[in-house]
Amino acid sequence: MTTRAPEPGDDRLSQLVELVVELASGDRGARMQPSPASDEIDAVIVGINMMAEELQALDADLEARVTERTLQLEQAQLQLERLALYDPLTGLANRTLLADRIGQAMARADRGAAPPAVLLLDLDGFKAVNDSFGHAVGDLLLMEVASRLRAVVRESDTVARLGGDEFALVVIDATNDQVLEMAERIRTALQAPAQLGDQVCWVSASIGVCFAVRGQQADALLRDADTAMYEAKGTTRGAVQIYETRMHTAALSRVRLADQLRGAIAGGQLRVHYQSIVDLQDGRTSGVEVLVRWQHPTRGLLLPAEFIGVAEDTGMIAALDRWVLDTALAQLAGWRATVLGDSAFTMHLNISPIELRSPRFADEVLGSLAHHGISPADLVLEVTETQMTGDDAQTLQALETLRRAGIAVAIDDFGTGYSSIGYVRQKFLDLVKIDRALVTGLDTDPQQHRVAAAILAIVDAFGLDAVAEGVETAAQAEELRGLGCRFGQGIYWCAPMSAAPMTMHLTAAAHATKRAAS
Amino acid sequence: MSDAVSGMAEPDQLLDVAVDDLGIVRLTWVRGLRITEELANHAMTLVDRVNGSHERPLLVDMTGTAALTRPARVTFTRRCSASRIALLGQSPVDRVIANFALGVSSVPVPTRFFTSEPSAVAWLRHDDTGA
Repeated sequence: MTTRAPEPGDDRLSQLVELVVELASGDRGARMQPSPASDEIDAVIVGINMMAEELQALDADLEARVTERTLQLEQAQLQLERLALYDPLTGLANRTLLADRIGQAMARADRGAAPPAVLLLDLDGFKAVNDSFGHAVGDLLLMEVASRLRAVVRESDTVARLGGDEFALVVIDATNDQVLEMAERIRTALQAPAQLGDQVCWVSASIGVCFAVRGQQADALLRDADTAMYEAKGTTRGAVQIYETRMHTAALSRVRLADQLRGAIAGGQLRVHYQSIVDLQDGRTSGVEVLVRWQHPTRGLLLPAEFIGVAEDTGMIAALDRWVLDTALAQLAGWRATVLGDSAFTMHLNISPIELRSPRFADEVLGSLAHHGISPADLVLEVTETQMTGDDAQTLQALETLRRAGIAVAIDDFGTGYSSIGYVRQKFLDLVKIDRALVTGLDTDPQQHRVAAAILAIVDAFGLDAVAEGVETAAQAEELRGLGCRFGQGIYWCAPMSAAPMTMHLTAAAHATKRAAS
Repeated sequence: MSDAVSGMAEPDQLLDVAVDDLGIVRLTWVRGLRITEELANHAMTLVDRVNGSHERPLLVDMTGTAALTRPARVTFTRRCSASRIALLGQSPVDRVIANFALGVSSVPVPTRFFTSEPSAVAWLRHDDTGA
């Protein structure tokens, strides 16, 4: 192949140099038209054109790949963000994102916007749904609640699930009235029954509302909303409670009390008192109710109402109940050996419904009875009516195990709950304790007399025995006896007392019975 | 500078496909043509139509081709009914274009560039390596 020098006036080589410069400067679209000569110079021109085209195509290809990879990275980042910031079950924000949103809202408030409000919701009755229908239905319920909450709030608000059955909302740019209206809408939205597969469930939510003040920290805001929610839960189902400063003080004192109670159980500050239960037919002491007290180092003797709630909330109720059970059964064993012999006598023990749902509870009770050599027939477990959650499987199974072993079950404070009749129909009951509210005025108020008579007739109709609580006068005792009430308990016979005086009381009662018999 | 023939004209006026007496399919492009993807597709369709269910050697006369676009080169990498392909050209420009077609894209059947038609025919017929 021969190469000729360009003819004079042929500036293709100069143009070629320009083309290379243009391509080098980044203009990948630069091209040069070859001449009709189709000689070596044209071959170089065509070659450079084709190489430039190739380079351009590779560039475009690379660009497309970079775009695709960037998109994939962005999607992966979004997915990671979702995992890190959203609740996987409901798709709602999680605690981290909620704190971030509160922080943003507080920062806006510092720049002059209205401070946000935080609503904290806890479902009432969620545990019963989980226990009765299983976790799959429980999960469906949480998803349904999430969807209803989403439907109620505005676009600018944040709905979060904090875990379990606890939800939170951050509401921005709203007046206090608008926030409370939203709380009301939430209450209404949750009231409607939820169709979850084959099950229909009813739930409600206790709602705590906290209106932020400028400069407040996100975690303090959440804590205060939680305190208000806790207060709401302590009232009625589905209540809305606005946070007040006094609640924080009360919450602090509960924390302090919990701390002290922990030390009290280990440090021997708990006491067991006993109050006799009397057979109204023959006046004989048929048993005692065990009542726990706390000998507080500075506050004196505390009644259960002042510390059982704290014990239940902190999980200390298990240790407390176990201590009371052991102490009382040891005492009963002592009385059996010295005073009671084998006479008919029962010990009534209050148990927390939380404990009753614990899978180990029944075994622990039976183990303790065996340890102290006490017959199961000597024990009556009392469960408060208002605290019974109903038909959850674990409770029913525990009651069944205990009753099969010979332990009786009594419902406490009967007549104060919503579903008294429902409970007496249950097969797990042996005894009903009539609340003192139904005994007060029995001897003076005809209306009260009629109510007590009706309730005792219902209890009798279901073949159960009744113990009337809070009997203060001989007249009340007489009325109750006349109405067919089998047992009575109250200061008319005996105030709650510690083991030593109760031993003397039982000794005296035993002597009296012997004298009456001889 | 030549005026490259663009794809404005009817494709059938820009190329010719025929089978010669030796059983070689001859694809002849109009000189000065810029071969685009559309033209490449059309040419391959015609070759396949001529061959029917047979596979035959293909002689492509690309003498004087002005340009071969990248999408057209990619099209030629598709398998067609040609058993082997001889590219025939004359000028250094033809050689550069042909070698881009051969080198940058991977061709599906044996393909070579020739400047002599008899050599190309011999290679197509006898399966030898003579150029």
